[in-house]
Amino acid sequence: MLKMSHLSKVYRTEVVETYALRDFNIDVKEGEFVAVTGPSGSGKTTFLTIAGLLETFTGGEYHLDGIEVSNLNDNARSKIRNEKIGFIFQAFNLIPDLNVFDNIEVPLRYRGMKSAERKQRIMESLERVGLASRAKHYPAELSGGQQQRVAIARALAGSPRLLLADEPTGNLDTQMARGVLELLEEIHRDGATIVMVTHDPELAARAQRNVHIIDGQVVDLAEEPRFHAHAGAGVSQGQA
Amino acid sequence: MSLQIKPILLALRRHKAGTVLIALQIALTLAIVCNALFIIHQRVVNLSERSGVDEANVFVITNQWAVDRSTRAIDAQVQADLAALRQLSSVRDAASATGYPLQGGGWDNFVTMTPDQVKPTTDSAVYYGDEHLLDALGLRLVAGRNFRPDEVVAVGTQQAISPPVVIVSKALARRLFPDGSALGKSFYAMTPTPTTIVGIVDPLHRQGASQWDKAHAGQSLIWPARPDDARGIYYIVRAKSGQLAAAMSEAPKALYAQSRMRIISPTDGIQDYAQIRHHVFDSDRGMAILMGIISVVLLAITAAGIVGLTSFWVGQRRKQIGVRRALGATRHDILSYFLTENLLIGFAGVVVGALLAIVINLWMVTRFEMDRMSLAYVGVGVIALLLLGQGAVFAPALRASRVSPVEATRSV
Repeated sequence: MLKMSHLSKVYRTEVVETYALRDFNIDVKEGEFVAVTGPSGSGKTTFLTIAGLLETFTGGEYHLDGIEVSNLNDNARSKIRNEKIGFIFQAFNLIPDLNVFDNIEVPLRYRGMKSAERKQRIMESLERVGLASRAKHYPAELSGGQQQRVAIARALAGSPRLLLADEPTGNLDTQMARGVLELLEEIHRDGATIVMVTHDPELAARAQRNVHIIDGQVVDLAEEPRFHAHAGAGVSQGQA
Repeated sequence: MSLQIKPILLALRRHKAGTVLIALQIALTLAIVCNALFIIHQRVVNLSERSGVDEANVFVITNQWAVDRSTRAIDAQVQADLAALRQLSSVRDAASATGYPLQGGGWDNFVTMTPDQVKPTTDSAVYYGDEHLLDALGLRLVAGRNFRPDEVVAVGTQQAISPPVVIVSKALARRLFPDGSALGKSFYAMTPTPTTIVGIVDPLHRQGASQWDKAHAGQSLIWPARPDDARGIYYIVRAKSGQLAAAMSEAPKALYAQSRMRIISPTDGIQDYAQIRHHVFDSDRGMAILMGIISVVLLAITAAGIVGLTSFWVGQRRKQIGVRRALGATRHDILSYFLTENLLIGFAGVVVGALLAIVINLWMVTRFEMDRMSLAYVGVGVIALLLLGQGAVFAPALRASRVSPVEATRSV
């Protein structure tokens, strides 16, 4: 589903080259729930933005759902984002000017979907996240947990092949975070492929498999004593 | 583009103040610019109003008498002056007159079809002239004939006269006899005896070019009379082709050679038609320029307002644009979002502005006796304002379309 081989991302200024990702390899199979962990500045977010085609990469290969994406133009990348990827952001990223219904409708409109189908999908995804009764509410009228559920509904409405979640519970209190996480697990059980970036070991432990990034590279935790000391035993890698 | 209209309207509803302000600015600009364009067009039309005169070759001498003399003496002097002018090698013809097209003194006569008619049929500017006047002005005789010398009488300009024959402008002929049979027909011009049309010239503008004169600008008649006003007289002189400057230089010398008891102002005593036009239409030209400047300034302010507000909105919505891009919007989607948003605000503005433009015009029609504005001005204004809006919004919209989708992941 998501395969990166020897991928690199370099940020260049006039005087310095900074590798955000270096010889980066990852292979996420269809139906997996993978947590990508790592300390601050390790390259987690860079990985996510490249995986989500929000940013281009410098070298290597990236296949998404069988498509090599490095040579795609901006329009083709937009189309793939729209049709194959569902984003769940830490800050929810709902559009404050639009109500819940219209927020979920945004990606469906860009897909050129007919009105009746849009409506059906929006209501289905709202029911799935338990917010069907809030369709006419504006984001500001909802709690953080509810806003993240709306964001998940927006991500699900387009039936994406891959869900990318960036610290999905980072802005939520414990109780709300638990609810959102349970929802993600439920979605995964229904067959979705989920890649979740988090620095929270407890959250990562709920995923099917953990991938750990340090200094822009995937590392094997067994060979990385620093991480054991830092993150504790809650995170493991390579689980089936 | 249409697929975005509903969400744009929803978003605009949440930004009422900016939206309403820009729409109002567009409305006011449209209302003022439409009327300004209308005024400019009217004034420009005035500038090119046909006088009927061979303007490239005709000049006018404003001659005042320095001493009081009898009517008979003045008439004799005028005849001598005209003979001297006609003898100049650079001059084609010359005539005396009480006024001349576009400027100069003159008056109107009411015109009736019967002697006892109470309500006049129309009115007409009145010229006095002899058989040389048509050639001196370069008027085009389109029907009938010129005056014969025996038909011309010498009269003081304040005398009421009623000559048996008259030459009229085509506009007056058509007004009096719409079926086109004016030649040989008679009418009454504030006199108890009829006068018969022997010639028709086209065109012949009246002696004024003010707004008040507009309705009857082309209605003129020429009585066969030599004016001999004791105060002064105009000499209309037509130079031979290409010899205007020479004729203008030689003419006053020839007149002073006849008699020095006259005053010809060194500043504006001798004017060619270019100078006359410049002087007559000074206020029209000034008004057209002023209205043009006002229009340009207003349009620039409106464009700047649109650029400013859209740039502000783009800056404010950077993250939102990134989110839209992340959710699948193409650059074109973002560009068209802002263009459509501007078009919707523009539509609201031009609808209000079009109504306002018509109201302002109606007010000016009643208050300043202006003409009714054609709706074409409103149409042109609407298109211009919508295009201006699209032009103004393009640069900030293009900037918006270049916002990277990665903005969606950045914290504010």
